[in-house]
Amino acid sequence: MAAVLVVSFLALASGWSRPRLERLRERPLFRIPLAVEVVLGGLGVAAYAITVYAGLAGTDFQQGNLAPTAVYVGFWVGLSFLSLVLGDVFRLLSPWRAIGRATGWLAARLGGGGATEPLPYPDRLGHWPAAAGILAFVICELVWRAGRDPGPLGVLMLVYLFAQLAGMGVYGVEAWTRRGDAFGVWFGLFALLAPVARDGRGRLVLRAPAAGAAGLQPLAGTVALLVIGIASTGFDGAREGPLFNGVRGDLQDAFVSAGASIGLGLELAFLAGLLAALAMVGALWRLGTQGMPRAGSAPDRAALSRRFAHTLVPIAAAYVVAHYFSLLAYNGQDLWRLASDPLGRGADLFGGASSRIDYSILTATAIWYVQVLALVAGHVAALVLAHDRALVVYGSARAAVRSQIVMLVLMVCFTCLGLWLLSAALNG
Amino acid sequence: MIVLAHAGHWLVQLIYVVPLAVLVGVIVVGRIRDRREAAHEQVREPEPD
Repeated sequence: MAAVLVVSFLALASGWSRPRLERLRERPLFRIPLAVEVVLGGLGVAAYAITVYAGLAGTDFQQGNLAPTAVYVGFWVGLSFLSLVLGDVFRLLSPWRAIGRATGWLAARLGGGGATEPLPYPDRLGHWPAAAGILAFVICELVWRAGRDPGPLGVLMLVYLFAQLAGMGVYGVEAWTRRGDAFGVWFGLFALLAPVARDGRGRLVLRAPAAGAAGLQPLAGTVALLVIGIASTGFDGAREGPLFNGVRGDLQDAFVSAGASIGLGLELAFLAGLLAALAMVGALWRLGTQGMPRAGSAPDRAALSRRFAHTLVPIAAAYVVAHYFSLLAYNGQDLWRLASDPLGRGADLFGGASSRIDYSILTATAIWYVQVLALVAGHVAALVLAHDRALVVYGSARAAVRSQIVMLVLMVCFTCLGLWLLSAALNG
Repeated sequence: MIVLAHAGHWLVQLIYVVPLAVLVGVIVVGRIRDRREAAHEQVREPEPD
């Protein structure tokens, strides 16, 4: 796999001598009608309301309640995959954005011009609220034992909704959902890799896959958000393998001997593992950007980190596809059963309550090939994006190639890490 | 013959090279486009008096 990256690097060095991704070629298709936006927004609100209700009023049994699978499989994983293929669909489906826009529309009609203008979104906030939101989400998913229980999940969903309503109320719907909403920003980053997008005039356009990432406008916290995404997916893989399981007991014992209960000790062990993964991915990225020479348009490491932040997007996507593909393929089927009986009380609304997961739809070998292909494709895309940006930053092809040697090493490290985590999870 | 008989086993390994093949294709197409654009610009350039 590393050889594929090295040969890709050489191919870029010899045949890609001027920037091609800074000015994207887009082929306009058609404008999405407002009615479609309203219907999809309404569907998002309905799905959200049903999931919250199932969480709060349904059975406490995780596998019998719609909420955990809907949130962690349908929403978190399913929308990531959908965004990679169809672009920023979450902007259309987002329940809080739909509520915010509907509220704004109503206020304008009923209140005339009396509504107060939203505050300008502060530059220093950037993507930090989104990064904090994704970190909180992965802690619920990977660390907190009750985070997968239907009741607490329903409460958390309501808390998140109120936080979004407050954010939109203060800074405006579009400003907040594009920068502060954790899921809006996260799925929006994945949508940059999709072959379809919406242009400034609201038209659907076709473009080269992954090329949209070059248009990412990095803000404060963008790199942190991507590092959290990569590290948490990596940690989720490591949790299933022998590396983390080998030290988990020792960590738990250390926390228990320091006064924590057995359950809390386990949660703190998982938190320590997650933080270690964050530190490792962050340090790798820091090393990668530290190793690049400074240039006029990127005079220090922080500026270089921002200018090359978009190269982390395909890596994050590759990790998500590689790690969650089988989860979506198998557990995604369970959504049909759970939608038919969302509360787990014996209903059969759509006739699917007795359906079961068909594990024969994919072989273990097929899953392995998809995972490895995703990792290689993601890292090759990252190399292309980095090389193209280096041509802009350093001016000449020779300087660009030299600057990217350390980035190549970084990509090989990320690929090896991803492959090792996959194989460790299979053998664990 | 043995190699061909077991082609199913090793051919699938080539899936890892697909991203590289796509990249090479993109580079080749990009270079052809560049040459065409350069040729068009030469044609468009007004003749010196």
